[in-house]
Amino acid sequence: MNRKRALIADTFCLTKRRRCAADSVTGDSQADGAADIRSSLKYLVTLFSRKLFNDSLPPVVLKHQLYSLHNDKTAVDKQVNELRENGELLMFQLGFDSEAFALVFAEDYRAKVLQGEAGRGTLGTVEKFLAKLIPSCSDLSFNKEKMLKEFLFTDSEITQLVKSGVLTVRDAGSWWLSIPNSGKFIKYFIKGRKAVLGMVKKSKYGEILKTELEGRRTTSQVKFQMKYHIHDIIGAELVECIQTTSGTLLRHVDGNVN
Amino acid sequence: MLSFLYARQSGLDDPVRLRRAESTRRVLSLKLNHNRDVDRIHGNGINTLDIEVIDGRYMLSGGSDGVIVIYDLENNSKKPQYTCKAICTVGRSSRHVHKFSVETVQWYPHDTGMFVSSSFDKTMKVWDTETLKPAEEFQFDGNVYCHHMSPVARRHSLVAVGTKDPKVQLCDLKSGSRIHILQGHRGEILSVRWSPRYDHILATASTDSRVRIWDVRRASGSLFTLDQHNGDKSKVSSEAVNTAHNGRVNGLCFTADGLHLLSTGTDDRMRLWNSGTGENTLVNYGKVVNESRKGLKFTVSRGCSPEFVFVPCGSSVAVYGLHSGELITMLRGHYNNVDCCEFHPDYQELYSGGKDCNILAWVPVLRQPGIEDDETNSKRGGTQAAINPAFEDAWSSDED
Repeated sequence: MNRKRALIADTFCLTKRRRCAADSVTGDSQADGAADIRSSLKYLVTLFSRKLFNDSLPPVVLKHQLYSLHNDKTAVDKQVNELRENGELLMFQLGFDSEAFALVFAEDYRAKVLQGEAGRGTLGTVEKFLAKLIPSCSDLSFNKEKMLKEFLFTDSEITQLVKSGVLTVRDAGSWWLSIPNSGKFIKYFIKGRKAVLGMVKKSKYGEILKTELEGRRTTSQVKFQMKYHIHDIIGAELVECIQTTSGTLLRHVDGNVN
Repeated sequence: MLSFLYARQSGLDDPVRLRRAESTRRVLSLKLNHNRDVDRIHGNGINTLDIEVIDGRYMLSGGSDGVIVIYDLENNSKKPQYTCKAICTVGRSSRHVHKFSVETVQWYPHDTGMFVSSSFDKTMKVWDTETLKPAEEFQFDGNVYCHHMSPVARRHSLVAVGTKDPKVQLCDLKSGSRIHILQGHRGEILSVRWSPRYDHILATASTDSRVRIWDVRRASGSLFTLDQHNGDKSKVSSEAVNTAHNGRVNGLCFTADGLHLLSTGTDDRMRLWNSGTGENTLVNYGKVVNESRKGLKFTVSRGCSPEFVFVPCGSSVAVYGLHSGELITMLRGHYNNVDCCEFHPDYQELYSGGKDCNILAWVPVLRQPGIEDDETNSKRGGTQAAINPAFEDAWSSDED
């Protein structure tokens, strides 16, 4: 007899659904979903090591780390966009990978930027920019017309913003939104990611249990917490995630040079 | 399942609902079956498969050795063990065989008297199935990556051809002319597909990362280009604006109703587009491994709810839910890269071919009879699972 569990279409799971429907609360599932993502984001924020950057950087989470916590990628994307439209979350293009987006809570971002700018001449301009940005804007980059016409900034003010690190040059006449002092973060992040992937690759058979990897001693290359990197490599699908009876197994995927 | 039958019988449910539910169940239970086999004729990898639309009985396959084979998929031998025999082949000994690898084959959409094949030897041949001789041959300047005939066209018989040239050529089967070209792409055309809904809508995918939708009746350029960011120019670096993928786009497939279009690219992503507006529906399928330098042939199921996408991923076929984006299962069985797959809508079977020269048939698993004692069986007798309480009565007998 074939004991392998077969895939069953939803339409045939009538009895199961009837039993579950009695207990579960069906209304308000949308709000529940968004709250879910918020709590996952808060959890990932706790994994971010603040001391490493002397508290000058707001906690940064990558969007694909959420994919490792939730099954439905499309729903995650939708909820992240909702949070961005509400002005709670800001998304940044990091530059090393066209698909890697960084997420920062808006209040954290504002607090850290103003903290970094305190005492500098550019404070006023930056405050003005943040005031325009945070409530409504969900763009990742800005071009010259937008800055001049919509936001009413002058050229010298734009230069000040670039100097303060809030904008980074994208190409002639357009800028990415960026996190000040994030260069160090990206450097450590890429190094750490490579080191963790190397650990998985060098293991026997190129695979390692997730719990074992979490327990391993990190080399000096890995500056972040192990769990932070693990969520990253699972979410970006740089390793294959296989469920086994002893837990989750991470297997190195061939053809990934990252 | 039996509640579905009762509901259909009494008219509570639409007949389509039972059909869809059963088709979905069958697709979810696709497995390699040791009773079903396909003749192994090709000596080199299989690049393309096509099952004819009329009966679903004959299948064409084109291989890297230039050989074209026609198989009979129907089981007329009264035994469960069946090998799909190759009825005829255009082998290496034939005078008209393609010199290099055959990239695409397609049956004539209206009957099996004719089929068209295109190959890396820069030709496209229109074959007469009876004599296996080409009735027409079109010469091109570069390798022909793909071609497609519209499955619904009654007013025209145009074949869209994608070659190394950035211009898409339309060849007319009735007159033999090839003066109609569609300009707009800046790279090789890796995939062309006609819409199954309108006979004048054509989608083309190219190495310049763009997918264009054309109306062939118009003299001017494409209708629109698919943009993965839906016009949000702020998300990308300036060179990547207005692209469908961040790499070469090498596979296109319309859903059966023609309302959505799927595209795969070498950036390891698959995207679902609304084919009417060109909007990216932002369904996230995750990483769909794609290393193919030429076109990738994938397919969508028909008649199920929810629909499934079958994409060759390395040496297995990945099955995704079309609108949910979740990976349902991976069909493993090939020994080497899978290049093409084709869905048989009537029997919900999947045929896949790859570099290991095998065509594998994935067949739905039949329901197993319940393994119980005879006593309990007779006691249980007529009680069926999930019977609708509206149909229970106190006077009908179960022992009929």
